[in-house]
Order: sequence, then structure tokens, then C-alpha cells
Amino acid sequence: MKVKAKLKNGIVNVKCQAQHEMMPYDAAQKKTGNRENANFITRITATVNGKTVFEVSTSQFLSKNPILKFKFKGADVGDKVEMTWIDRKGNTKSSSTRIK
Amino acid sequence: MKRRNFLSLSALTALAVIAPTQVNAQDYRTTKPSVWTAHTVDDSIKQLYGTATTIEEGVSLSAPDVASNGGAIPVEIQSDIDAKSVAVFQDANPEAAVIVYTVQEGGIVDYSIKMKMKASGTISVIVEGRDGKLYSARKTLDVAIGGCDP
Repeated sequence: MKVKAKLKNGIVNVKCQAQHEMMPYDAAQKKTGNRENANFITRITATVNGKTVFEVSTSQFLSKNPILKFKFKGADVGDKVEMTWIDRKGNTKSSSTRIK
Repeated sequence: MKRRNFLSLSALTALAVIAPTQVNAQDYRTTKPSVWTAHTVDDSIKQLYGTATTIEEGVSLSAPDVASNGGAIPVEIQSDIDAKSVAVFQDANPEAAVIVYTVQEGGIVDYSIKMKMKASGTISVIVEGRDGKLYSARKTLDVAIGGCDP
């Protein structure tokens, strides 16, 4: 997962891209013949200094390698943003960056 | 008896360890599984919030009028409402729900995502305010090439 965070006028702007194929049920049915092979990110969270600042439950209809942008208040330059996603099969990946 | 005591103790400590991380967490996939399998937008909203009655104001939703690539449609959501959660739905794909945000303290409702749509349809955004009311915005768009096929 690529993460970028930038402080602007007291608001932190975060942009991230998760590397994931995001295969919906229909595509899994077509490609592999089994709906249950569908795999997509179901949950993404971001924490700063141990506090959750962003949290989302997602479905199969985000694009492939989805890009998300969000904003939050209450952090400073140099603070570490840690982002984690988990997919339908239970795979998980974390990345972190420092706020610029 | 001793073993039983020990087991219950370890269960308690496990709970204590897990609890703090779940204070302001809401995993809608496990708490509301029916939202993600609902086929119509209204049904999905009902499963999530209990009602499908919304007020159409206070939410700004921007998406292209014609999306050339249904595999990655840029969608932006903005609102000044003091919100608890934000949800995005569409009516072109087999299931309706796309994404549900839990707005954190100090969070700003200003999100941007890229989503897939199989055909032309309508995107709906619902903002659940802390006052308990539902606010919404809708946008109908044309999709040139559907984006759900591999």
C-alpha cells in the first residue's frame, strides 16, 4: 500500500493506493467457475499516534488497485500514519508514512 | 477447578487487551452482513440504517456525467454535516453497497474513491448525522464501458 500524507492549514490530506485485484463475485464466477473465489478488500483503517483517524468497510465495487483520499485534523508534521487493509480471505497488509 | 479458574482469567485478560482498539471501531462487514448482499439501494439503506427516508440536502457528490471507463469512476463526497457515518450505493451492479465510512472524531467528510460500475446508473450517498437524520445526494451517470468484467 502506498501512502502519502501532507499537512496543509492544520488539516492532514492523505492519499493512498492499495495493490489489490478487487475481484467481484461475478468475475470470479466467470474466471474460475466459483463465486467463492472472489477476493476484495473489506476493511481499511488508519491510525496516528495510536488513535484511529479513518475507518472504512468496503465492498467488491471499488476499482482494481483502489485509490482513496481522506482528510483529518489533530496531527502534526512528523507524526506517523499507519494504514492497514484486510481482504475477504483474511490477508492483511500495513504501510506507514510520516506526515510532511 | 484450578484449571477452570485459570481459563476464565485468561479469557478476561484477552478481552481487556482487545477492548481498547474497538472503542470507536465499527466493522460494518461483521456487524451488518445483510447490507452487503442486498440487491437494491433502498433495501441496502434499510438494512444499514433501519429506514430509507432521507433529506436531500447538505451533501455534495461529484462524479463525471459520462464515465469512459466503468472500472475506475472517480467519486468525491463532501459535507459539512456533523456526521457519524457515510455510505455510498449504486444501482448498476448485482449488489448495491460500495463503501461505508465511519467518521472519526476530528474527521472531515471529504472523501474520494474510485469505484466500478457495470452499466449506466445512479450513485447514492447517505450521510448519517449525529442528530440521527439521514442526508443524501444522488447522481445519475452514463458508463461507456462497463467495469465489472475481468
